[in-house]
Amino acid sequence: MNKIKVKLCMGTTCFVMGASELQELVDILPEKFGDKVEVQCATCLDLCSSSSEGQAPYAMVDYTVISKATVESVINEVERKLKNGQE
Amino acid sequence: MFIDIDCAQEKKYNQNTYGDYFLSKRYPDKDALIAVLSDGLGSGIKANILATMTATMLLKFVEAGADMKMACEVIMNSLPVCKVRKISYSTFSVAHCSEDGEVKIIEEGNPKFIYISDGKVIEPEYTVIDSDTFKNRHMHVYKLKLKLGDRLVFCSDGVTQAGLGNPELKLGLRRSGLMRFLLEKINDTPDISSSELSQFVVRIAKNTETDRKAKDDISCCVIYYREPRRALIFTGPPYHQEKDYEYAHEFYESKAKKAICGGTTANLISRELQIPVKCNITRSVGKLPAVSSMEGVDLVTEGILTLTRTVEYLENGFNEKEKDAAYELMQFLLNSDCIEFMVGAKLNQAHYDPNLPIEIEIRKNIVKKMTKILEDKYIKRVTLRYI
Ligand code: FES
Repeated sequence: MNKIKVKLCMGTTCFVMGASELQELVDILPEKFGDKVEVQCATCLDLCSSSSEGQAPYAMVDYTVISKATVESVINEVERKLKNGQE
Repeated sequence: MFIDIDCAQEKKYNQNTYGDYFLSKRYPDKDALIAVLSDGLGSGIKANILATMTATMLLKFVEAGADMKMACEVIMNSLPVCKVRKISYSTFSVAHCSEDGEVKIIEEGNPKFIYISDGKVIEPEYTVIDSDTFKNRHMHVYKLKLKLGDRLVFCSDGVTQAGLGNPELKLGLRRSGLMRFLLEKINDTPDISSSELSQFVVRIAKNTETDRKAKDDISCCVIYYREPRRALIFTGPPYHQEKDYEYAHEFYESKAKKAICGGTTANLISRELQIPVKCNITRSVGKLPAVSSMEGVDLVTEGILTLTRTVEYLENGFNEKEKDAAYELMQFLLNSDCIEFMVGAKLNQAHYDPNLPIEIEIRKNIVKKMTKILEDKYIKRVTLRYI
């Protein structure tokens, strides 16, 4: 099974909108899901400049964009993906 | 050429202040600087006052437009003599250095400076001007033309007389001893900075003293003509997107040290040149995103927040506990002499979203502010280019 890739945006817009808190995920995700997930940070996901994608902060779980990301919403998405993958 | 100048000092053992005084000032509009080293008679606070006065007056004189020779003569002729020891209250060396290499030096009473070029010591010619009022006082006037890589080393007699009376070194370190150390050091590290070389001399002098206790105030000033250290900072995406490749390429090819400030900017360069940006997953320090890295680039940071914080540090000093990205950027800037900013003029609409909890300043304004501080407070040469 491929690892799920989580990308957290640490660009200006996302950072001031609360992405700094998302950094907890760097520790939480591996603790919770082990090596089924891989966490990366991004300098800017280039989502902030297009308003159609919702609102910062942004995170990506594989190819799914999560807008207004929170620690919970990212974890939920990872869980959902893992479940789907097992089916 | 860039003139790298610095001075290192050590107090006489058991004294709480310096008896030598060093002063230097750059005049960016004239591409020149003036440096003065004065040694006050004796040590401690009395010597400190004498030396400070002599150096400050000299600098003020010359600054006010007085001819350097005349200013020095006035001071030489008016410095009083100590009643007890029958010697001058203070001695001095003044150097006026232009960036094109023209150097004028006047010495009165201090040890002769050492002129090092191509790993050798040169003993230049000088003219002697005798004092009208004091028989045993005269100044040496030099006119030199320095070239890239040349150095001038000035010191107080605390250096040349270090170790005086030692069993092995009856006459102390002397000028010849100092020369040997200097040539050896420069041979080992040809690019050594003025600050390191002057500290080296002070260390040598101190080590030569019995029990490493300085018997006189020790000062060493080094002037080094070198290629300026250049830095290039790319911040913000260019106004015309079709120019992205061109600018990214120009940036990357530059021989200067390079920094990128801005996530979008980093992505753009990465995309145009096919070089990945590695974003650090270590926790951001303070309230700033952590630095990232890219091959061939010396520093990659987030944009506006980091720039804003860097301006604060440059203005008020760095007092935080942890070194954040703005600290890194500040160091990057301070370790350069000539700084060029490539400022992309495209605005990021997201930054002006009323939903943002803080107001994000316009990039142009921050960079302008930074430029002013770097020029005025840190005497850097800064060029701004809007792209
Ligand atoms: S800052 Fe997060 S997408 Fe641009």
